[in-house]
Order: sequence, then C-alpha cells, then structure tokens
Amino acid sequence: MTPTPTLRERSESEASRLPPLLARAEHLAGTVLLGEHGRRRAGLGDDFWQYRPAQIGDSKRLIDHRRSARGDMQFVREREWQIAQSVMLWVDQGASMRFASDDALPTKADRARLLALAIAILLVRGGERIGLTGTSLPPRRGNPQILRLAESFAIDSDADYAPPEHRAMIPHARALFLSDFLGDMAEVTTALTKAADRGVRGVLLQVLDPSEELFPFRGRTIFQSVGGSVSHETLKAGDLRDRYLQRLAARKDELTQLCRATGWRLGLHHTNDSAQSALLWLYRALDRGAR
Amino acid sequence: MTVLAGIGFNAPWLLLGLLALPILWLILRAVPPAPARRLFPGVTLLLGLKDDESVSDRTPWWLLLLRMLAVAAVIVGLAGPVLNPRQDKDGSGPLLIVLDASWAGATRWPDKVELIASQLAQAGRAGRPVAVLRLTAPEAPVFQAADVWRSRLAGLTPEAWQPAQIGDVLAALDSVEGGFDSHWLGDGLDYDGRDRVLEALEARGAVQVFQGASVILGLSPARFDQGALQLTVQRSATGPAREVTLLVHGRDPAGTARILASVPARFDAGSDIATTALSLPAELRGRITRFDIQGQRSAGAMSLADDSLRRREVALIAGREDREGLQLLSPLHYLRQALVPTAELLDGALADLLPANPDVVVLADIATLSSAEEAALTEWIEAGGMLLRFAGPRLAASDVSRSEEHPLMPVRLRSGGRSVGGAMSWGEPKTLAPFPETSPFNGLTIPSDVRVTAQVMAQPDPTLADRVIAALGDGTPLVTRKALGQGQVVLFHITANAEWSTLPLSGLFVEMLERLAVSSSAKPPEAADLQGTTWTPVQVLNGFGDLHDAGTLPGVDGPALAEAPAGPDLQPGIYDSGKRRLARNVLGADDRLVAADWPAHVSVQGLGIRLEVPLGGGLLSLALVLLVLDVVASLALSGRLGMGGAVLILALLIAQPMTGRAQQTQADTDFAITATSELVLAHVLTGNAQLDDIAQAGLLGLADTLFFRTSVEPSTPIGVDLERDELAFFPLLYWPITPDQPQPSAAAYARLNTYLRSGGMILFDTRDSDIARFGAASPNGRKLQQLAAPLDIPPLEPLPKDHVLTRTFYLLQDFPGRHNSHDVWVEAAPPDAELAEGMPFRNLNDGVTPVVIGGNDWAGAWATDRNGRPLLPIGRGFAGERQRELAYRFGVNLVMHVLTGNYKSDQVHVPALLDRLGQ
Repeated sequence: MTPTPTLRERSESEASRLPPLLARAEHLAGTVLLGEHGRRRAGLGDDFWQYRPAQIGDSKRLIDHRRSARGDMQFVREREWQIAQSVMLWVDQGASMRFASDDALPTKADRARLLALAIAILLVRGGERIGLTGTSLPPRRGNPQILRLAESFAIDSDADYAPPEHRAMIPHARALFLSDFLGDMAEVTTALTKAADRGVRGVLLQVLDPSEELFPFRGRTIFQSVGGSVSHETLKAGDLRDRYLQRLAARKDELTQLCRATGWRLGLHHTNDSAQSALLWLYRALDRGAR
Repeated sequence: MTVLAGIGFNAPWLLLGLLALPILWLILRAVPPAPARRLFPGVTLLLGLKDDESVSDRTPWWLLLLRMLAVAAVIVGLAGPVLNPRQDKDGSGPLLIVLDASWAGATRWPDKVELIASQLAQAGRAGRPVAVLRLTAPEAPVFQAADVWRSRLAGLTPEAWQPAQIGDVLAALDSVEGGFDSHWLGDGLDYDGRDRVLEALEARGAVQVFQGASVILGLSPARFDQGALQLTVQRSATGPAREVTLLVHGRDPAGTARILASVPARFDAGSDIATTALSLPAELRGRITRFDIQGQRSAGAMSLADDSLRRREVALIAGREDREGLQLLSPLHYLRQALVPTAELLDGALADLLPANPDVVVLADIATLSSAEEAALTEWIEAGGMLLRFAGPRLAASDVSRSEEHPLMPVRLRSGGRSVGGAMSWGEPKTLAPFPETSPFNGLTIPSDVRVTAQVMAQPDPTLADRVIAALGDGTPLVTRKALGQGQVVLFHITANAEWSTLPLSGLFVEMLERLAVSSSAKPPEAADLQGTTWTPVQVLNGFGDLHDAGTLPGVDGPALAEAPAGPDLQPGIYDSGKRRLARNVLGADDRLVAADWPAHVSVQGLGIRLEVPLGGGLLSLALVLLVLDVVASLALSGRLGMGGAVLILALLIAQPMTGRAQQTQADTDFAITATSELVLAHVLTGNAQLDDIAQAGLLGLADTLFFRTSVEPSTPIGVDLERDELAFFPLLYWPITPDQPQPSAAAYARLNTYLRSGGMILFDTRDSDIARFGAASPNGRKLQQLAAPLDIPPLEPLPKDHVLTRTFYLLQDFPGRHNSHDVWVEAAPPDAELAEGMPFRNLNDGVTPVVIGGNDWAGAWATDRNGRPLLPIGRGFAGERQRELAYRFGVNLVMHVLTGNYKSDQVHVPALLDRLGQ
C-alpha cells in the first residue's frame, strides 16, 4: 500500500464527483420539464430548423412523432432560436460556501452548484447558450457544455469570500449569481452596476444555511470563517444574536435595494429547503426576465 | 488514628484541604469556561460587535457544585477514612488466638473466621506476632506475623468432636516460652478440662473470651420405639418455646440422595429437650441415611443411620413340608407374601438358621421341637430374639403346653381347640375385638370382613389377661405374647394360612406383622457386644456435618467405638466390621448439651463485631465518577456534545465492563458457526506446536482426499482446545499423544465423556508403533493410559478381520500410517455377536466404536502442504507411496465409519435380500 493515493485513484475520486452532481441535476431538471413542456410558445422566436435522426441520449419526449410515423426511423425536431440568448452563471466557489451546520444538511456550495447545473440543463434543453461569467467558459450551446460546467463547478476556490466575477459580460445577456453574499458588498455592487451598465439583467440567489438565519449559539465562542481568515471572539454569544440578525436583515435589504436599482431579481434559499422549489423559482425568474 | 464523628482517619491533617474549597469556588467562578471554536461564514456580519458586559457566562452553579464534590471526595478519600474504627486497647506482645473449633461452633463458623480476620488485621497493625491454637486438634503454637495467619484462615475448620485431649493442650501451651495475651473464641459448650486450660492461659497473660449468644442445637441418635422413629433434639440453653424442623435424608429408589421426610419438633418454654415421633413405611425407613436439623450446619445437629434401621431377617419354618404343589395351602404362603417386601427371609432347618442370628423366627404349626433345638431356640430368644408361632391342626392335636406352660408358648392351651360357624357347629364366625391400648396393635383399623372360624383356646390363667394383645369379639384370645429373657414369644391362635380364618387374606395381617417386626429391631450395641471386634471407619464427619472419605484412618476397637469419647482417634462417622455397619454419632444417646459457664473475672464479648470498613477507595471512585460527569456536562454546556453524544458516552461507560463477556460469547458463536457450517475434522491441541501442525496438515490431507474421492467434503480442519471448545460439533477427533501434554481438567473430561457417549469418536495415536507395541511399553503409551483413564471407554479388542472398518469404503486389512503395525484397537464386539452364515463378516456392534487406538502416526502419513505435496517421507520408493495410499484409504474408511455407522454391516443381509428378490 502506498501511503498517498495514486494519481489514478485521485483522478477517479475526482471524476466520481461529476456524475452524481450531473445525475442529480438532470433528475432535478426533469421534474421541472414535466410541467412546462418546452418553450414552444409564440413570440419566443423558436422556429423549425431541421429534423434530425434521434440519437442516443435524446429524451423520448423530444421525438417528433408526426415525422417519425412516416417512416421507420425516429426523428427529433430541432428548433432554432432566431435571437440567441446567452445566460451567464456565477456560482460562488469561495470557502464560505463549503459550510453546513449539520451533517444531515448539504453544504451551501453543493446546493448552489446543484441548482446552477439543473437550471443550465433546463436552459440547454430550451436551446439557450450557457456559460460562466468571466473568460473561463464563454456561453455555448449543447450538452457538452453541461459537462464543462459540471467540471468547472468541481474546482474550489481558496479565498474565503469570493467576489462576483463580472468580467467579459456579454451585453444584453442574462445572468444568474448564486452566493451567500456574506462577503464584501462593494464587490457585489460593482458587479451588478457593471452588469446593469451593459444591459445585462438577471437573478441573484442567496443561499444560506439555517444556522446563519437563526444564530443558535451561546456562551464564550470564537467564530471563524471557513477559510480561517476572519475570526471574532465573544464572551456571550447569546447576547449577539439580536444584533447579528439585524445586520443580516440589513444585508438582505441592501441586496434588495441593489436589485431594484439594477432591475435584477433577488431570491433567498435555505439549504434545509427543497431544491426543487428553488429550481422552479429560478426557472420562472429567468423566464420572466427573458420576456 | 483519629476518630471524627465515628469515622476514623489515617491522615486527618489532609482534611484541612477542605478549607481550600471556598477559595476554589471563587476561582472557578471567576475563570470563564474555555471558548468554543466554531466555523461560521456569517462571522463577517459579527465583526465589530462588542460584548455588552465584560463578564462572560458563568459556569452554572450545579457544575461548580459537582466539581467541589469531586475535589472534596478526593481530599476526604486521601485522608484514609475508616468506618467502625477499632481502638487498640490492649497493648503489645504476642497474641494467642484460642479456638474451641468443635462442631458446636460450626453453624456460626463464618462469623468466627471474620472475627479472627479482624483480630489478625488489628494485630498486624500493632505488629504483634500471632499464633492460633485449636483445642480440638492441639499443636504447639508458633508465633508468626499476622499476615501469615491471614493466608491460612481458610484452612481453619471445626472438628466433629469436643476438645478432649486437655493434656496435649496444656503440653502445647507449656512449650511456649514467655508470656502472651489470649483471645479465646469459645463455641458455647462446656467440656471437661476447660477450667484447666483457662488457668494455664491466665498464668501467661490477659484472657479475653469471645462467645456467640446463639443457642446450640444437637440431635441425639434416632431410635425405634412403638413402631415409630423417636427423634430427640437438645438445646444448650432453655428459653422461650421454639420449633425446629428435622429432616430425614435418604436415597430414593434410583439411588439419588434426597429428603425423604421432614417433621417438626417443638421445644416447650423452659425445656431443653424436644422429642418427636416419625412413622415411616418400612421400605422408606430402610433407605434413611441420616437425620439433621434444618438450618443448622454442624456435625452435632445430625445423626447418621446405620444397621439399626436395616431390614430384619426372618426365619420361616413350617411343618408339612411334604405337600408339594399346594402353594396356596402352604402355611407359609401368606407370611411370605406379607414379609417379602420388608424383610429378608431365611429358609431352612431351624438348627441351621439359628446360628445366622435372625431377628425373628416364625414357627407355623410346629408342635414339638427336639430338645437340642428347643435349648438353642430358648437361648436365642433370651438373647433378644423373637419367636412368632402360629397354631394349626398339629398344635391343636398335640400335648404341648397342655398341663403346664411350655417355655416357648405364651399360654397354656386347651386340648382340641374349637371351631365356630362351621357346617357342624352352632354360632357365627367370630370377628376381632378392638385392640386394647396396651397392645402393640393399638390403632390399627380392623376390616369388617375378617372372620375367624377356628382357633386354639387358651387356658384361663392369672397371667392370661396381661398376655393377650389381640382378642376375638367374644373375648377369647387371638394373639398372646410373653417376654422371655430379652426376647419374646408371640402366638397367633390361628393358622398362618386361610384355613382357620380370613385374617391372613387381609391387610391387617401385614400391619400386625409389621408392628411385631418393628418392635424386634436391633438395639444399639453395648460395649460388651463389640468385645473383640475391630471397626474400620468408612466415612467420617467434619465439624460442619459433611461426610467425607475416611482415607487411611486406622480401625478402632469395638468397645471403644461404643463408649470412648470422640476425638481425633475416634472420629464420628460410619464404621464397618464385616457386614455390620455402625454409625458413631457426635452425640450419644445419653449425652447432654451443657452451656459453657465462664468465671466472673473473665470478660466475655459477643461475636457481633463491626468490621472496619475502609472508605477511601469508594470515595476516590466517587470522585472519578464525578469528574467524568463533569467532563460530560462541560462538553454539553459548551455545545460540543449533542444529546446523542452524551447518551453514547454514558452508555459506553456503563457497557464497558460487559464487552469482554460479549466478545467471549461472540467468539463462541463464531467457533460454533465455523465448526457446523460444514463438516469439519478436528484434532486435539496438545500444546506441542510441531505436533499440532502435523496433525493439522494431516487432517488437511485427509480432507482433500475425502473431497476428491468421496461425497464427503470437509472444510479446513480445526484444532480444538479441550478446556475451552465445544466438542459436539465434530464427528471425529484426532488425538496425537505426546508425553509432555497436559492432563485435561475434570470439566474437560466431563465434556469428552459426553462426547463419547453421544456418538463421537476419538482416534488416539501414540505415533510410536515403530519402536513399541501397544501397551505401557513406551512413554507415549503410558501417557495414553493416563489420559484415557478418566474416559468412559468400553472394553477393547484388536481390530478383527471382519470389523466394519475394513469395508466402509475400501476393502482393507492393514491400517498403516507412517508405521505399519497391526496393533489397532477398537471397541470389543459383544460376546454374543455371531458369525453370519456364509459371509466373511459378523454382524458386529450396532454402532460406531467410540475410540480407535493405535500407534501408526496416521497424521504424519496424511500430512500434506498447501499444494498437496506430502510433508513427511514414508518408507522407500514405491512401497512407501503404496503405504501412504493405504493410510489415506484407512482415513477414508474411518470417516465413512463415523458418518455412516454400521451401514456396511447391513451387507450381512444381502444374501437374504437377494434371495427374497428371487435371484
């Protein structure tokens, strides 16, 4: 036995992280599509583009039965957006997201990545182009982009509180920022202002752990950020609760004001709530933003 | 030692540490609890927030209290508290502990041992040398350190007699030089010479007497009177009324010891004797082994039963012996029927029987005896015998006891007798009158259908009325009795058969005989009776009343057995001489219990001492427990311990001591599952690693062979530890013998015997048939004899040519291993096993031989390594390989024999089956 895991073992354990996230995201996306059934609505700009033979990996509901009934082969009717929409995602990869107050709860990062990937799957099925803000993964179309997204989500950032990535925003595209927004507000303000300047509109989803909402601490306590860069010692944690909750409410208020000013939408999600309701909310929020 | 509030402290100054507790309280309150470190992403929102007060959360008061208690417990525990501290009053110098050590103290012996232990502990602290002197077994006292005696405490036991050899005691005391103090633990009974011992002790130093206040009970030997067991209980002091229960122990018909009966005996207030009578059927009475008092555990509270309760010998003699074939008319038939269950019957001529000294002689319708017989009979009766006569036609027709009373007849008879209720007579057949109170038959119920039609009539005499013990309804005597010397003569005025009356047909006849036979029981022997006899002890009593084997104790002279006081040379117990058996009980019939009376100047204390109880250990343990609670509570307070965690820790603490047993059980279960999930061959672990490896490899090779060649598919063999492992799972145990292997324990032998009886087989292998023949010629052979001696092994014989082992799978005539000896022994065939006709083999044992014994080193021949290559060489070249093959075949046959039993023996029936099939 070698004391350290071999390269292969490490790569396998890395690779094993992807499929579950992807599978869960697919699963989550499937529950939403069931109700919406595509985006075949007037005014959306989707026109017939071509029939192509069904391939492995195509969902059964994508098969066009009218065309397929004419022959022995199964065909998929592909539509083309005449106006290509780009959706840019930013998922906070900072250390603060890798926190869960209870073993039974998922970390905030896990929930944020799951939601981001699920919404990406939905949008790709709808024909949108998906990418990350910044230059690492520009928006593209198609299933391979999902894989690339999942891959990039697996990379953790070392920074305690990651600032929103606002470079290389495509004008008039849409954006989705998932974070706990507990870091520096100036960065968020900068990012949103810049986005608004470029005509980018979108959604902020704040993902919080229940303990961050309740502050159930007592006694002499040293609070540390996950990365260890910030700490705060108190003798009576119980006395801090009210003031902490006030500050949290102020932070949410600030975000709301910012969104109102820039025309973004703000959502709040707790990791002990169901991911599906958050996904539905996100989907509709993006949908409405596109209209 | 300082005593505070009834508790002594070895280091009282340590208690000053308790003063520091309030200071500790203040310090603990001032110091905040250690901070908890928590990950919290929302810390950014907290930055800059200040605490309202500078004082942190205080440790809760109950946690402080817990810690204070723990510290206090440590301080007090280290101060060495002792409950019931004993104050050393008497000073220094050697201490002699004198014990009566007689049976009278056996019931409360544990209290005495505790008292001695506490005195030894006390003497040990004071550094006094101690000696212990048992008055019942005096030895010169040797003064030693108290600790030496403490280790010998368990060996001190009471003896089954009172101190008798006072001379030896005084001599033992004289042998000690210098003075010493004495602690005398008395048993509470007086005995001769006690005052002299007291004088001798007081001459040397202070004497302190310890004596329990309990009343001592003793049981006198049981005796027969009025057809019942008379039991007498004594107590050493009179007192209020008290009831004790006497238990009668004996063997049931299966031979198991059990309590046959129990009977209460009541001491009246102010009386020191309680008597009770117990009526038991003769059959039950014959099986009594001892009596004892419930709740008492001493040799004096029990009495052993002996010959006096045994079945009586009755000699039956009748006239008319010439009439053959008329059994129901035989004068002795009904007597025989009545007496067989309860007595030993002797048949023969009177002259031959009298020397056998029967208890009773029955003469049925015999009128005259020769003068020599008459003289011998008279002598025998006068020595305590009982003559039982029955009338009949001959007696009625004879002149015996006609004009004057014959010595062997209780009354004079009228000539001819009378007949009532017959065809030629007036009157009705007579019934029996109720038995008078003086009669031994008093209390028996008379069946209404008993009729007497003929009888011999007694002449009226002045003495007649005294001699009648049963009469007819008209007042004529039916049974008369007179004393003659120590014995008696009884006459039934009717025949012993049903010719003259229906009495012999009724149950009353049996009861009457029993009453008479009981009153003729053997008396306790006198010294003169035992003159010239020697009695060997069979079992002797210890002071607790337990019988144990007498071992090599010498025999005692007869008169001494009857009269001498009990002592080391005459221990109470059971003694044998020839066929006679006597019980020497602790208390004789005339012995009385007398309470010991101490002179006024001797101080007497009770046994009820309060033992010193050191409390330090308990307090320190309590402190430890409190500290553990403190850890749990602190963790819980700082939020680092969920509720589940706390429960888990507590459960672990509680469950910790039990895990060992659980693991043991688990290991047992695993072993059982391994051994039973498949067929497993097993070998006995001998402790010799090399031998065990060879045995393991051998069984592995045999298992492989079985796997390849037969439908038996054993898994990996197991080595079993006889002391630990269950054997029932294995069909075959291979037991190689080595001279240095340990002898299994008794429990292991019990398991082995159970294993053999329930169908297991052991293959003993002495592995030395190349140098020795079967038997004790080699060290291995001798070891085998030692090992197998406690085993339940049937008779053996060399494996016969037609044994089923020769054909269970292969047809074999040799059973070689690494050596090729023909000395293989198996269970012998029963003597009636027969050669089956026309077949080469007999129908032998209907089962599997429990042992196969040989010395051919089979495991060595079977042994293979993991790849199937033989480990040990056999012989040379091809012949050697052939021998190995035969060894495997023997192994296959053996396992087949174990698994199929005598299945192949049934081939003896093949010709018959073929015949029936018409072939």
